[in-house]
Amino acid sequence: MDMALLGLAAALAVGLSALATAWAQGRIGPAAAASLAEKPELATTAIILIAIPETMVILGFVVAVLILLGGGG
Amino acid sequence: MIVRMLRVRIAGPRPVLDRALTLLQDLGVLHVDRPRIPGGTADPTATRTRRHVERCLRDVEAASECLHLPADARTAATPLTSPAEAVRRARRVRRRADAIARSQAALEDERSLLLRYREFFQVFEALARSELTWPDGQAFYVVLRAGASATLTELKRRLEEAVGGEVEILSRELSTGEWAVLMLASARAAPKVSALLSSSRIDELPAPAGIAEPNLMRALPAIKARLDQLPAALRAAEAERRSLVQSEAAWLSGLRVFLRDHLLRLDAQSQVFSADYLFVIEGWLPAARFADLEQRVLTMLGPEVLVSTIGAEDWRADNAPVTLHNPPLFQPFEILTRTLPLPRYGTIDPTPFVAIFFPAFFGLMVGDVGYGVALAVLAAVMRLKSKPATTVRSLSTVALACSSSAIAFGVIFGEFFGSLGGAIGLRPVFNREQAAIPFLALAVALGGVHIALGLILAGLSAWRRGHRREAVGRSVVLAMLLLTVVSLLAAFRVLPAMLFTPTVITIFAAFVVLVALEGIVALIELLSTVGHILSYARIMALGTASLMLAIVANQMVGAFGSVIVGAVFALLFHLVNFGIALFSPTIHALRLHYVEFFGHFFSPGGGQYRPFGHWRPAP
Repeated sequence: MDMALLGLAAALAVGLSALATAWAQGRIGPAAAASLAEKPELATTAIILIAIPETMVILGFVVAVLILLGGGG
Repeated sequence: MIVRMLRVRIAGPRPVLDRALTLLQDLGVLHVDRPRIPGGTADPTATRTRRHVERCLRDVEAASECLHLPADARTAATPLTSPAEAVRRARRVRRRADAIARSQAALEDERSLLLRYREFFQVFEALARSELTWPDGQAFYVVLRAGASATLTELKRRLEEAVGGEVEILSRELSTGEWAVLMLASARAAPKVSALLSSSRIDELPAPAGIAEPNLMRALPAIKARLDQLPAALRAAEAERRSLVQSEAAWLSGLRVFLRDHLLRLDAQSQVFSADYLFVIEGWLPAARFADLEQRVLTMLGPEVLVSTIGAEDWRADNAPVTLHNPPLFQPFEILTRTLPLPRYGTIDPTPFVAIFFPAFFGLMVGDVGYGVALAVLAAVMRLKSKPATTVRSLSTVALACSSSAIAFGVIFGEFFGSLGGAIGLRPVFNREQAAIPFLALAVALGGVHIALGLILAGLSAWRRGHRREAVGRSVVLAMLLLTVVSLLAAFRVLPAMLFTPTVITIFAAFVVLVALEGIVALIELLSTVGHILSYARIMALGTASLMLAIVANQMVGAFGSVIVGAVFALLFHLVNFGIALFSPTIHALRLHYVEFFGHFFSPGGGQYRPFGHWRPAP
């Protein structure tokens, strides 16, 4: 299989999921910051909420690794 | 773990109530909770007493703050011989302390203002001699904020328009970045200058108190003389404060403890059932302390006061207060679980599991001897700089556990600042750079174990609290999870292939049982459980990313021509990676606990166990 296509597929897997994570965190971050200004005791919840969308890019990264290793091998 | 509590009832003759409350306050073990007994007679003086105590306490706290008296846990309560006299004395001390504090603040303000003038004068001393141009004229002193040179230009233009050559403007930038402006106007032009400044909303530098000399050169000696007097005045005020501290500090501190104790006693008293002839106190205490309480009540109050346990079956009392008690090794990890609300009584305290899995996940993600040692050094410094039983001390213990785990996994992975493991003789037992897929499988398998543990805890918790249906439901999900693993192993021929069909059929049968037990919502829960297990793939992802960044840092040494420049860049990159390695694995290990693991069994909403005792200041 063409290595260039595999590389492109891996890059898309990481890149698109990173964009999705960035978009979600961009929405959650300001809301969390606004909540923290009023209720600082929500810090843990805020950090967790911001970390939740990172699952997308992490799974994107895992898929990219699988594409590169599976296809290349 | 959550400490097992007992609800106890103490009943006795009404005249013994005061002694009973004194004893309970001294023991400090009973979380007082109002008995569910209708009727009773309320103390008509309680509200008035509380108001007096609170007012007196406000005076004591205000005086203590003015005199900078810290709350000391070792201070003994000062018994009151005459409450009315104590109230009057507290008010007198508060007023005197307040007056001293205000005088000190005023002197400090005056000094800082005069120092500002002094700088102003030092800037203008040479130039100000030209003030004599108009011996009967007036000087205007203005300080403009930093960066106001445009305002100054505009001011000069408008003054020129208004009074022509009858005003002289001298300006100089101060060390603070502000602009000092001195305007010398003739007696005729002075009112116009004043009006212009007022309409431009430019405030003159306020004249210091007691120095109303309008002529700059004549005001200067008076200001210098006042500046010389101020240190002595400040010393006198401080001496007066110290004298007041010496005469009143011990009495004030003792009174504060007494009043705080008294408020706690009033709080407890409001939770007591009392009638004309008897009283009943109910409350919660750790089961292990019951025998001691019973013995002390019998010894101190006599046999007419009865102590008995009532009603509460083990772990089923929803309103029982919660206190955690973990072995010393696990205790520092309470800092991670206490960021969430307390678990409800009868459920499970996750601290011991966090103490085991949190460092393990962190170590798996970082997995580097170099970074682990760096973190251990940080943790040791935190430990040395912190006091026992503080948040920083707990954090240092958690960091130490995490660093040990990172070092241990670093040895297994053969990593020392990434690919430099070979240089210090490390041989990888498991090379995660090359074995990405096995590492992924390991991470997901670990997730399976963690989630299975969560399901077991959920089943146990539900069973203990009498929710049998829920307990069976959790067991069925657990069984389905295990059967899925068996069927996958059979499908990949790790286990005999003949096991595949029976396990799949059993999974379907278990699913039907689950839907019968929990409804269609079971399907969603099942899918979320699978999602939770897959979420542990982040351990592999973050670990691999950390390793790759470390390898890139090492490659910088040969990438810049000069070895020294490359080494500096490599060090900086390792520093950045170390920062990421501290933050990201912590957040994700926490998230795996809070979202994936706790989600199955953690039930927040427990009330804090607050035993009725003597007041202690917050550490």
